Amino acid sequence: MTTTPTRTFKQKLILGLSKLYPMAKRALYRFHGGVFPRYNKELSLSHPLITDFIPKTLVLPLQQHVGVITEPLVTLGDLVLKNQLLANTEKGLAAPIHAPTSGKIVAIEERTLPHASGLSGLSIILESDQKDQAIENSLDVDGSIPEMPDKLKALIHRAGIVGMGGAGFPTFAKIPSQKGQIKYLLINGAECEPFITCDDVLMQTRANDIVQGALIVAQSLGIEHILCGIEDNKGKAIKAMQKAAKDTNVQIKVVVTAYPMGGQTQLTQELTGIELPAHTHAIDVGVLMMNVATFAAIYQAVIHGNPLTSRYVTVSGLGLNHPFNIDARLGSSFKELALLAEPKTPLTYPLIKGGPMMGIEMQSNDVPIIKTTNCILATPPEPMEEPMPCIRCGECMDACPINLLPQQLYWHSRSHEFDKVEELKVFDCIECGCCSFVCPSHIPLVQYYRFAKSEIKHIKQEEATAELAKKRHEFRQERLEREKKEREDRIRAKKEAVKQKAAQKASAETTETEKPKANAAAAAAARAAKARAAKNGKETPPAEPKLSARDRAIAAAKKRTDAASKPTESNTTTPTKKQKDKPKDPKAAAMAAAKKRAAKAAKEKHSTQADATASTETDATDTTDTMKDKRAAAVEAARQKAAEKKRAKQSEQPENDSLETPSVATKPSDETTATPNKASDAKRKAAMAAAKARAKKQQSKTTEEKT
Amino acid sequence: MISAILIFLALAILFGILLGYASVRFKIEGNPVAEQIDNVLPQTQCGQCGFPGCKPYAEALAKGESEVNLCVPGGHEVMIQISEITHREPKEMEAEPENIAQKIVAKIDEDICIGCVHCIKACPVDAILGATKMMHTVIESECTGCEKCIPVCPVDCIAMIPEEVTPQTWGWPEPTPQEAPLIQTFPPKD
Repeated sequence: MTTTPTRTFKQKLILGLSKLYPMAKRALYRFHGGVFPRYNKELSLSHPLITDFIPKTLVLPLQQHVGVITEPLVTLGDLVLKNQLLANTEKGLAAPIHAPTSGKIVAIEERTLPHASGLSGLSIILESDQKDQAIENSLDVDGSIPEMPDKLKALIHRAGIVGMGGAGFPTFAKIPSQKGQIKYLLINGAECEPFITCDDVLMQTRANDIVQGALIVAQSLGIEHILCGIEDNKGKAIKAMQKAAKDTNVQIKVVVTAYPMGGQTQLTQELTGIELPAHTHAIDVGVLMMNVATFAAIYQAVIHGNPLTSRYVTVSGLGLNHPFNIDARLGSSFKELALLAEPKTPLTYPLIKGGPMMGIEMQSNDVPIIKTTNCILATPPEPMEEPMPCIRCGECMDACPINLLPQQLYWHSRSHEFDKVEELKVFDCIECGCCSFVCPSHIPLVQYYRFAKSEIKHIKQEEATAELAKKRHEFRQERLEREKKEREDRIRAKKEAVKQKAAQKASAETTETEKPKANAAAAAAARAAKARAAKNGKETPPAEPKLSARDRAIAAAKKRTDAASKPTESNTTTPTKKQKDKPKDPKAAAMAAAKKRAAKAAKEKHSTQADATASTETDATDTTDTMKDKRAAAVEAARQKAAEKKRAKQSEQPENDSLETPSVATKPSDETTATPNKASDAKRKAAMAAAKARAKKQQSKTTEEKT
Repeated sequence: MISAILIFLALAILFGILLGYASVRFKIEGNPVAEQIDNVLPQTQCGQCGFPGCKPYAEALAKGESEVNLCVPGGHEVMIQISEITHREPKEMEAEPENIAQKIVAKIDEDICIGCVHCIKACPVDAILGATKMMHTVIESECTGCEKCIPVCPVDCIAMIPEEVTPQTWGWPEPTPQEAPLIQTFPPKD
């Protein structure tokens, strides 16, 4: 109060009036609402800063920031030095974690987090050796100020710096990548929460770090205006900062002490007059604000290459005899520090993380200090004021620094009308606690808003999962439909192929009967050769005219044994399988097969005068009994085998086992739909193979029956 | 007289054309009521309503062929919403879900799984990964908790477990709301 140099008449008048009506002080600053609690800051300021305390064990949660969890880079039993990188991740928004002191990694396990839920999270447990050996310049910097924002961002990321005012948003993600996007760089030194003095002490002891840190950021991002807001109850800090900011373009602005002056939107409005619209970030209006501790950490990282491993923490509260500020190593236990401050009564009550206004009671007192912890508050529980019904006095509405309607929010939250709560912009609520503070009925209003926020988030999450489930279900239905259709198509194609086969058989028979005088064997051979030529394209018909009847018989016999050695099932299944797989192939195969069968049937007819009705293959072969027929069949088989061998040679197929060919032939036929040229070729081959296989099988069957 | 008739005739023709055009141009595909109902259904695709999914149930409701109180996972709230959309009398739920508060997801005991793919075929949202004779696993984020995979498993290796609460998913509890009655007598009773 003493440091404000001149007071206008208006200010004097208001201050005079505030003795009668305290809320008159609201006219001294720009933002709406606000309250004036008892600050109790002198408690911790009356004791010196502790800097040399190194706890025996440090618990470092892998997630100390908003974003994704980091992954440990050390293993059990590793000896680490101070400033050594312990955990990092590239998977998303995260800040790496460094060793706060030298020592040994004794465990990586679940430990209770300093979180309202009291849930546990994976943490690295470091047992200090009390030597505090450090890696100097572990970030490997040359002490120069990065000229480009990207370089500064990378360095800040590597240093593991997060917003130290309490939000815990990784600082590098907050900085824009382009120069000139920011008009005002704001230094937040308005520590408005009662009891907390860590920023005050930091400004008193390390004002130069803070100012230099701000200058680094300003230079890197090309920012002209640097404003530092400090509440007028921090006289020493203001003096120290003014001294450090001398001859720089950092302007120290003294602001009125009011709660919540330290809120980002409130201080921005106070310093620049810009009121941040809903759903916008400060960057959108050209403002970048960071806490004094963040600037000090940036200075340490950029100039000295030191990552963020410790922070100033206030240990205070009415329950402590010896409250103090401490340059605490991250990972120090709440309980240990509170015990250091000599509690008046045993710590059987929960410690509070943060101040009395916004602080959160811990579920366990043995939780570690993380990058965002600014205060440990030990206040013995007082008998709670019984909440009374809301009397609609509207005090909360007057106190709300965001201009919300706390009373309406309360009623709707209470009756679970979350859509209405959302309409009333509950998500703009900063949970500062002004409304609860002024409520004459002692209604825990902020609790209701927190609950409403959680519920709305939960509902949104559920909606998203329902939408996803719907999409996936619909996609599945579509897929099943498609598969069903494909199956039907296949069956239809198969049926058609069978029909066609029957039709062709009939037509072939009629053509056969037209020229009964021709030598059956010769005709069949010629036709087969022709068919083969047509099928093979360039391949020449492998006629073997010089083979004697005996040789042919031998060939046939060989083939028979060949066929007999293979199980008959595989003979039959391979072609049929192929038919199933390729709807187009079987047609061709069936055609070829039908032709050959027809030819054979004609032969049989010629020799045995059997009836010309379309009989099945087996029927036809069964009826044949003469030697001639056998021989003719043998001729056919031998020829086929020879052709096949030749083809196998041509295609450099190592096995000359004829049974392999059908399966081989299916391979090229896979491309049928892709390239029509290739497809026709492949089709031909497949058809050939199928026909051959069938013929062979028949031969072996019939001959076996005969013998 | 004639002019009046002509004017009205012209107007009639004009509006007729307009209406005809509008009916073609702004044609609504599908049943908007079914669509609306489908949006309020929880999309677990569990089939507890007797229909093969949420959409078929919504369509049946839109046609008035089904009761409004069949959606078990949706519970009372969804029933009210459905009856509002369909303008029908709300009906008491016959079956209530066992735990409404917490989402449950299927979990496969991967040591027991024999890779029979039965559960994969049963899953209405394709949230189970695996192949024949290979171990299967559930994609937790996509599981709707419909329990359709449980009866088909021949080795009973699937269990429904509540989804794990993390600090990210944790929500603030409701501040015991009825601690202060809405109307209090004065002086307040102790």
